[in-house]
Amino acid sequence: MSLLAYDFMQRALMAALLTGLTAPAIGTYLVQKRLALLGDGIGHIALTGVALGLLTGQAPLLTAVIVAVAGATVIEVLRLRGRASGDVALALFFYGGIAAGVLLTGLAGGSAATLTSYLFGALTTVSDADLLLVVVLAALVLTVSLGLAPQLFAVCQDEEHARVSGMPVAAYSVLISVLAAVTVTLAMRTVGLLLVSALMVVPVAAAQQLTRAFRATLALAMALGVLAAVSGVWVSFSVNAAPGPTIVLLALAGFVVASPLGGWLRSRRGVTMPTDDLHDLHDLHDGKD
Amino acid sequence: MLSDAPTLHVHDLTVPLGGRSVVRHVALDVRPGEFVTVLGGNGSGKSTLVRAATGLLPHTSGEVRLFGTPVADFRDWHRIGYVPQRPSAASGVPATVREIVTAGRLSRRRLLRPLRHADKAAVQAALTSVDLADRAGESVAELSGGQQQRVLIARALATEPDLLVLDEPTAGVDLEHQQLLARVLAAHAARGVAIVLVAHELGPLARLIDRVVVLRDGRVTFDGTPDAEAAAFAHSHDQHHPLDPNSGGARAVVLGPGWQAGERR
Ligand SMILES: Nc1ncnc2c1ncn2[C@@H]1O[C@H](COP(=O)(O)OP(=O)(O)OP(=O)(O)O)[C@@H](O)[C@H]1O
Ligand SMILES: [Mg+2]
Repeated sequence: MSLLAYDFMQRALMAALLTGLTAPAIGTYLVQKRLALLGDGIGHIALTGVALGLLTGQAPLLTAVIVAVAGATVIEVLRLRGRASGDVALALFFYGGIAAGVLLTGLAGGSAATLTSYLFGALTTVSDADLLLVVVLAALVLTVSLGLAPQLFAVCQDEEHARVSGMPVAAYSVLISVLAAVTVTLAMRTVGLLLVSALMVVPVAAAQQLTRAFRATLALAMALGVLAAVSGVWVSFSVNAAPGPTIVLLALAGFVVASPLGGWLRSRRGVTMPTDDLHDLHDLHDGKD
Repeated sequence: MLSDAPTLHVHDLTVPLGGRSVVRHVALDVRPGEFVTVLGGNGSGKSTLVRAATGLLPHTSGEVRLFGTPVADFRDWHRIGYVPQRPSAASGVPATVREIVTAGRLSRRRLLRPLRHADKAAVQAALTSVDLADRAGESVAELSGGQQQRVLIARALATEPDLLVLDEPTAGVDLEHQQLLARVLAAHAARGVAIVLVAHELGPLARLIDRVVVLRDGRVTFDGTPDAEAAAFAHSHDQHHPLDPNSGGARAVVLGPGWQAGERR
């Protein structure tokens, strides 16, 4: 309660809450596409963007968004064109991003230490301007990932069927990657670039231990993400630990709890599941007559 | 004048894949209510043909028209129901049977609009016609392979299409449910829905077939009625036959060794 008296703490909690909400929302689609590590790859590309900001004197958050969005688009286009499989395209950018990031930061007169606040987050230094950008980007990500849920679900579930349904599959795929890039850069100040991918994937992994439906997985993952982010900020300030790792470890704790719970739930469901799905077919006679 | 156009018109179609022509100079017309089956060994180009016919693959020469419109300009995707050849209906995140079948309504839904009554009714009808209504709330990943195949069939039926393209829809589906599918497809054909079926084992579907197209190495080696095809087959082989009228419906018919000769080596 007393912590909330501080302005920086209010901003930190707000930024964490929005990250906890948006990262699993977009992460659910990435996991569905089996591209769970895309967030990680984009995080490394965003590092180049941060360095570019430092080098040119622009706001690092802005240059990171631009570079991450461009990189995410190229990864997706490479994948769609069949030039490289998703994971190989990712690896190329993964290494290129971190190398260019460190190189450019050096050129800008900074050191690896300058990058640390972006790699691991720096919640206490979130400014009003940072927070405003975070709010706007989060609103964008949530509007698209929830508003276009039926379309994005279909595209991530079965690309070929989505195309025969007339969906602009390439546009939607690039949109998902761009949203992931926006989410990653959004999380730069909270959990940091290195750990944001965890917040995109771990709550989803925890949620799907307990769910059977896509919608339920999406909703539960977002709830778990918010819970981990907000309580992580709280705990980290109380015990004077770094917020990013605390948030991620709490999310992982959620997975550790959810996994056996899900097994127990499934075994209970198994008891009540119909054993013979042919039961109402027996009175249908053969159509040959 | 467009109403005279065949539902699917394929003319002199050549489709390249990985640097060589996998489908070569294929012609195929399917009219409303017609039930056409595409047969051929593994790798003979059946999936490639239907994927080019639905616009999933580009072609280098020839032409594909859907309902009279060149496939590149075609926009009425709600008139097409497609069952891809796929071992599983699952993805990286759990999804219920109903959620997947509901994706079959996307071509009829507008952006940012909730499901309408007609959408829900079509999904329910599709679930019932593959006998999965009582499993609608279950995760597809927890269904058997044959049950997942029926989910993919239901998704195509939920679209309420005028052309159904089914790529080996009965792989792994038990005889009882193949018979159910035969009744459902017969009802669709009677209503004027054109059906293109790729299959190795026709089973109970054999008696519905109006026309057989046989592919071998990407070329059409036979196009005609099942009777003519059976005669042609009997002429050159003594093998058990996929369209054998004596076994249609009674038990699953397995492709004889004669068909495997079409396989690419
Ligand atoms: N992505 C691809 N790249 C290159 N060649 C391909 C590709 N997909 C398929 N082929 C080739 O095209 C040929 C036809 O494949 P297709 O999938 O159309 O066969 P099919 O008749 O459907 O076989 P099956 O009965 O096994 O489903 C095969 O020889 C295959 O090797
Ligand atoms: Mg095939």
